[in-house]
Amino acid sequence: MDELKNDNQHAMSLYRSAVRLLPACLRVTSRRALVTSSARTKDHDLHLPTPAGPLGTWATLKPRPEKYVDTEADIDPSVTDPLRHPDYFGVRQLFTMSDLFDARVHLGHREGSLNPYMAEFLLGSRLGHCVFDLERTAQLLRDALNFTTHIAYRGGIIMFVCRSPQHVHMVERTAMECGEFSHCRHWPPGVFTDSTALFGGVTRLPDLLVLLNTLDTVLEQHGAVKHAAKMLIPTVGVVDSNCDPRLVTYPVPGNDDSTTAVRLYCKLFSEAIRRGKAEREKSAVV
Amino acid sequence: MNFIWMLFPTQIDKFWDIAKKGAVVIMSLGRVRVLEALWRLPATRLSASTVCPTVCRPLSSAGARSGPTSPDPQEQAGQVQQRPAKNTSKAMMAYLERATKHEEFMRKQVHEFEIGKRHLANMMGEDPEHFTQEDVDRAIEYLFPTGIFDKKARPKMRHPTEVFPQQKAAQFDATGRPFHTLFYTLKPNFYMTLYELVEKMNQLDRLQAKNDALGKLPDTTQKLSLLGSEWLDIEELGKMLVETLKEPQYQEFVRAMNRLVEHPLAYHHKDFIFKYRKMLRVSNETDTVPELLFDSAGRPYMEATGYRKRAVARAVVHGRGSGRVTVNGLPLVHYFHRDGGRSGNQDVAQVMYPLQVAGVLDSVDVEATVQYDGPTQRYHGKRRRGHRKRTSFVPEPWKRPHPVQAPSSQAGAVRHAVSLALRSFVDKEMQETMRLAGLLTRDVRERERYKPGKKGSRKGRTWKKR
Repeated sequence: MDELKNDNQHAMSLYRSAVRLLPACLRVTSRRALVTSSARTKDHDLHLPTPAGPLGTWATLKPRPEKYVDTEADIDPSVTDPLRHPDYFGVRQLFTMSDLFDARVHLGHREGSLNPYMAEFLLGSRLGHCVFDLERTAQLLRDALNFTTHIAYRGGIIMFVCRSPQHVHMVERTAMECGEFSHCRHWPPGVFTDSTALFGGVTRLPDLLVLLNTLDTVLEQHGAVKHAAKMLIPTVGVVDSNCDPRLVTYPVPGNDDSTTAVRLYCKLFSEAIRRGKAEREKSAVV
Repeated sequence: MNFIWMLFPTQIDKFWDIAKKGAVVIMSLGRVRVLEALWRLPATRLSASTVCPTVCRPLSSAGARSGPTSPDPQEQAGQVQQRPAKNTSKAMMAYLERATKHEEFMRKQVHEFEIGKRHLANMMGEDPEHFTQEDVDRAIEYLFPTGIFDKKARPKMRHPTEVFPQQKAAQFDATGRPFHTLFYTLKPNFYMTLYELVEKMNQLDRLQAKNDALGKLPDTTQKLSLLGSEWLDIEELGKMLVETLKEPQYQEFVRAMNRLVEHPLAYHHKDFIFKYRKMLRVSNETDTVPELLFDSAGRPYMEATGYRKRAVARAVVHGRGSGRVTVNGLPLVHYFHRDGGRSGNQDVAQVMYPLQVAGVLDSVDVEATVQYDGPTQRYHGKRRRGHRKRTSFVPEPWKRPHPVQAPSSQAGAVRHAVSLALRSFVDKEMQETMRLAGLLTRDVRERERYKPGKKGSRKGRTWKKR
């Protein structure tokens, strides 16, 4: 948190001024003030937590307990286990809050399409448009990148998913360039759950899913989110204000529609994967 | 990296890339006990040469087996036997099982085919050593004569590689990690094609922007011409990509390719575009119009045979004539006579039509012979018992050559014969006109068969409510 404040005072001041400009009635204080979509989804079949209330955030988004993370750790494999280091691959240096702001990551959709489970990630709304809290986003993005890098370090299969037609080509190229996989086309329902039948034999499934858009072309949740959860495949997903973040392991609240934002995510994730693979090559040689 | 790579003869191009990295390469599985081989190989990196040569043999001797008599690679290398490499995943083990089964099956099929071919050659009294596929086809046609209409349903004997569908080689390495970046889409080759298409579109857009800045215009002389070709069928495209495609995917492909073709600079990617197009055959290349013949008097003439339903007509058209048309020795109007009830004579008009179209009504003579070659037709109306046509006036015999009127199929056959013969008398343009008028096409419509439970081919029996 300290580095963030030192890095981009300007971006922060912009944020503060934006919040100050909001009329007091719209400012999110109780986290329930925003107008939510009328159709509330039933949780009977999902057994998922309810939206965050005054008691705090969800268990999945709490920082890792101290006993698992060694904050004084050194980036030297002989000294520290990479998994105990809070940021072994230095992914926090990959981006700044200013970069996120310039890429318009903070812009959400209108209040009318806001998913109630996304309310806690917003600063508020301005003239009906939701605005993400970039401090929170940055924190979660760092966690997501860290996780991705560790998966790549251990030789895992990473699959990019994005159904937004204008970004399909970019995402596929990103996957190709970092030597990983992508699935930006029509999703047949049995790809994970009935893989043996569809692929004609036992297949190794991806070890991580990176969703750059958790909705499909008809603005319903992408089947991959649910199926990955069923098959215990962790997911990293960019969740916009109209998305449901509950089943995503590492949600990254932010804009998933602007080309600048998607380009930034592609750049960050591919760089994270490259770092992990480079480290893997190095340690193999050693 | 302690990867052990399994390759099949189809992946020869990958062999050297992988061998360079120093990984162990095992080729030609067949009956080699792959899992045994995995057990025996050490986990540490070894170059291919240090491993037992019987395990890593060149592709030329792919048929040979390394049985239990081969020397133990461990003894040769002086290493201790270790557990199988941890990297081999369940996916790979399952794939290897499938692949060995398939290879076993194919080998048996090929063996049976070769033996069968030799038997066939002996049966036909030919040299078994030089018995080609054409000879096989001929022999099968001779030994198994069939009246089956569909050519694909007829008996045939082909090499097993042609009969059994081509299977994709291993899609992933020993750890189960796929090779192709789009593997999980289930149609990697197809979606890779779409990706390349978009890549090329973007390239062309960038090129156009550059040209616009320089003020350059697209080269109109190189403009792509798609005339005489069409996009590959869904089946043909599927065969090319070794993937079965669905209709919406195929439509998407065609739409995307059409968009690429519409780009003014599309000629830069001509090869890519034509890879997915098939050239259409010219329809008239087998139809050569015969040259005019000349009789002893120096008069030009042409003979032709025409068909319609079960009638066969033979027409001889003489040039330098006066428009006389005879059928079976009789003048046209007398042969195709019609007594009462009908206005005009359709059959005469049918026979005269080609002469009218070609504009030779008064400049050629036609002599036609026609024969109705089939069973007696059931004429219009019910076959009533005791019905007889009563006519008060009985004309001369030459006016009534048939007990009933000549079937109009004979007129159609004569028309076809005359048209075909007339082609030699007219120029290319008129031949095309005649073709467009439908004069040169053999009318394939035949009488539909009778079905039991019906009166004829379609008409049902009287329906009774109770």
